[in-house]
Amino acid sequence: MRKRIWLLILFLVPLTGCYDQIEVEQQTYVIAIGIDKTDVEGKFRITFQAANPEVGSTISSGGSQEEPRETVTLVGNDLIATKDTANSVMTKQIALDHTKVVVVSEELARSGEFLRLIQAAARTTELRRSVQIIVSKENASDFLKNNQPLLETRPHKYYQYMLSRATETGIIPEADIHRFFQITEGDADAFLAIYATTQHAEEKIEGNEDQYIAGQIPIEGGNPTQFMGSAVFKEGKMIDVLSGQETRIANILDDTMEMEALYSTYPDPKNKKYRIAANFTKDRPIDVEIDYQKDQPTKINITVPFSIEVIGIPSLVDYSQNGENRSLLEAYIPKFAEEEANNLIKKTQEEYKTDVFYWSLYIRKYFSTIEEYEKADWNHNIYPNAEINVDFKLKQLYFGKMIDDSNIGEVRD
Amino acid sequence: MFFKGKKNAEANKQVPLSRNLEKNTTHLKQLFSSELNKDFSTREITARYSNKRIKLFFYSSIVNSTKIHEGIIRPLLEAKGENLPSIITLEAIKELTDFDSIIDDINSGNVVLLLEDSKTAYSVNVADFKHRGIEKPENENAVKAPKEAFTESLNVNISLVRKRFHDKQLIAEAKPVGNRSKLDVTIMYVKDVVNNEILENVRERLDQLSVDNVRNIESLEQYIEERPYSIVSSLLYTERPDRAASYLEDGYIVLMMENSSACLVLPVTFWSFFHSEEDRYLRFLFGNFSRIIRLLAFLISLLVSGVYVAVTNYHSEMIPPDLLLAIVSARERVPFPVVFEVLLMEISFELIREAGLRIPNPLGPTIGIVGALIIGQAAVEANIVSPIVVIVVALSGLSSFAVANISMNFTIRITRFLFIFAASFFGMLSLTGAFLLWVMYLASLRSFGVPFLAPLSPSYKSTNDTVFRKIIKNEYFRPGQIKPKDLRKKG
Repeated sequence: MRKRIWLLILFLVPLTGCYDQIEVEQQTYVIAIGIDKTDVEGKFRITFQAANPEVGSTISSGGSQEEPRETVTLVGNDLIATKDTANSVMTKQIALDHTKVVVVSEELARSGEFLRLIQAAARTTELRRSVQIIVSKENASDFLKNNQPLLETRPHKYYQYMLSRATETGIIPEADIHRFFQITEGDADAFLAIYATTQHAEEKIEGNEDQYIAGQIPIEGGNPTQFMGSAVFKEGKMIDVLSGQETRIANILDDTMEMEALYSTYPDPKNKKYRIAANFTKDRPIDVEIDYQKDQPTKINITVPFSIEVIGIPSLVDYSQNGENRSLLEAYIPKFAEEEANNLIKKTQEEYKTDVFYWSLYIRKYFSTIEEYEKADWNHNIYPNAEINVDFKLKQLYFGKMIDDSNIGEVRD
Repeated sequence: MFFKGKKNAEANKQVPLSRNLEKNTTHLKQLFSSELNKDFSTREITARYSNKRIKLFFYSSIVNSTKIHEGIIRPLLEAKGENLPSIITLEAIKELTDFDSIIDDINSGNVVLLLEDSKTAYSVNVADFKHRGIEKPENENAVKAPKEAFTESLNVNISLVRKRFHDKQLIAEAKPVGNRSKLDVTIMYVKDVVNNEILENVRERLDQLSVDNVRNIESLEQYIEERPYSIVSSLLYTERPDRAASYLEDGYIVLMMENSSACLVLPVTFWSFFHSEEDRYLRFLFGNFSRIIRLLAFLISLLVSGVYVAVTNYHSEMIPPDLLLAIVSARERVPFPVVFEVLLMEISFELIREAGLRIPNPLGPTIGIVGALIIGQAAVEANIVSPIVVIVVALSGLSSFAVANISMNFTIRITRFLFIFAASFFGMLSLTGAFLLWVMYLASLRSFGVPFLAPLSPSYKSTNDTVFRKIIKNEYFRPGQIKPKDLRKKG
């Protein structure tokens, strides 16, 4: 009897099967997905860009002549279901587990149809919530085709390095799908997506280092793809583009963004022809104080502690030793920063009628139920009418390794 | 068999000596088949003290002939005296009255003297069994530790332990085992520390043994263990006298036998297998560092192959893209599934290990070259396995050597295969399940009544010498799980 039971158990083992089992080499790993509009409503052009594992691997000697990526564009109704159609061209089962970015064309983003398609990402287990959303000026399929990195030819490495570094400098926001759903479904605030393009604008603007949006940067050489600025999504629909500088300010004023130090220049208060180069560090969290009264305009006070390390003073004005000049600079930089911040806040209040800083987080504590909060209406009522006061507090001012600058008089005698 | 044993016992037992020397001699010679047995020797002399004939019986191969000459024959021929014991100069002399004990004594290397007109025989211990000298430990190597190891002689082994632990309460109790060839099993313990129940349990098990011959503790281990089918051993086998001594001190019981260059410690817990004696000789930080490494090796050796199979077959999203693409590019030319690939390599590794153990010494280096070439290079170049699998298997193989105890080593190696199979069914889910079951099994085990994972679970009052040990000054207690009579060892 016991033997028979054992035999039965033994037979159960092969019955279990291995339904989810798949060997790694039987899958194609899609790194980037592109989504475009078609003329027919409800149909989209979907682009898959998959990495070729044989390129860049020292283990396999053969296959080095192959392209580092395979890009396929096809028309479909749904992101996930189109995978199978793509198999008419691609050889292996398509896996979206390692997808790094979803590229959306500006046309689709502005049409508001994007939300319909990306819904699937919330439901499927395949697409990670950490996938970054990129809005491309041109068609996403063109963007993926034209993007030809020179050094990081393997696509996953390209997106990994490109996005992490650009996010650190603050010129693009962090825009993962999770945040997109959080903000969109929270029915307050606006979501910032990464803005990028491979098409260069005809006229180049002569601006300061971060006052561009992608495509306008006067760069020679390198990959044609530019990442700069952000696309503003209000209620799942794109409404505007922020420049790199505005994106940086948005990042500074939003504590949920992880941004490190950034290099920037400020007008020289003593000599307006030159600009002072400095390293801006926000190493402490900002302080958002909201004074919410039901029938009065809400008062929002924001304190941003920061420190500045001056690295270049082309005007050669002595700001370090001269106490008077130093206090001038100490007062000037926060004032300048506040001015820029106020401009952006004004723009968001008047144009967008919502903020891009995720400040609604700080007001939620004043409501005991979600209904109450939704009724108060951050987007239409609270934020556009709020009295906002931004206070940049300069905590430390450094002058780098060398205190004195070269004395131009003595050099040229 | 039962009847035969009974008949033998009846025939041999309690046959008394007669007064007739000739009759006794014939009987004894017949018992030992002296005409066939080349080394069974007899010597007849006439003693000066009594002018009577005396016969000596012994195995010439297992006695010290100088001792016989100097201590027995010469005094008998030359000395005057009252009786035999006052003439013989050797230390141990025994009176015997029946053939049964005479046979036992001759077998264990004594000279038996039969006297004319006497119903009493005398037995003198002149045993000289040959054995190796004391050498360095072969398997339990250590850098900062005594270098003596047990050898195949019971007396030497007991002396090595007594040398380390001077206590009048240290008992070396002998218990004969075997119906045909009687060998003593020596039970060593500290009388006022050891737990009586466990001691009684051991004695009972030894008494209940009904077997013709137990040659050494390696076989004894299998005779007295509780669960012969278990994947884990319930006795600790060690060749280090310092280790045996430290266990004795804590209240454990040590079993020794002639012919074994090691001893058995009982009861054991998982930690006895996990620890090395050197952990205690190294300073607190250094010893614990080596324990972390060993724990890591333990886990790697158990799990790395299984995890690799699970992750590549079911959870490719867990692998960082760079590694994933590297694995894919390597595996694109490999014709086998991952499970098969891993099993192939694991089995080859076990082959090298087994062959390396059995190979005659002069051929030893060959196995290294062939093994390394076949597994390291040729298999990869021939696209039979991918290089990453070689790394995985080499890692798990290397780690298994860090688990020094041979019993635990086998446990881990067998379990590893179970885990690989488990991982191939439902990935991490079934691997976790298998690991859980395995740990539950360990927790359910008992060695001579002591829970296998104690004092971690269940908890006992002890120094908590589990994964990490305390500073030696803070070790106040003996291990509480073995319930020693004297729990406190300090302060």
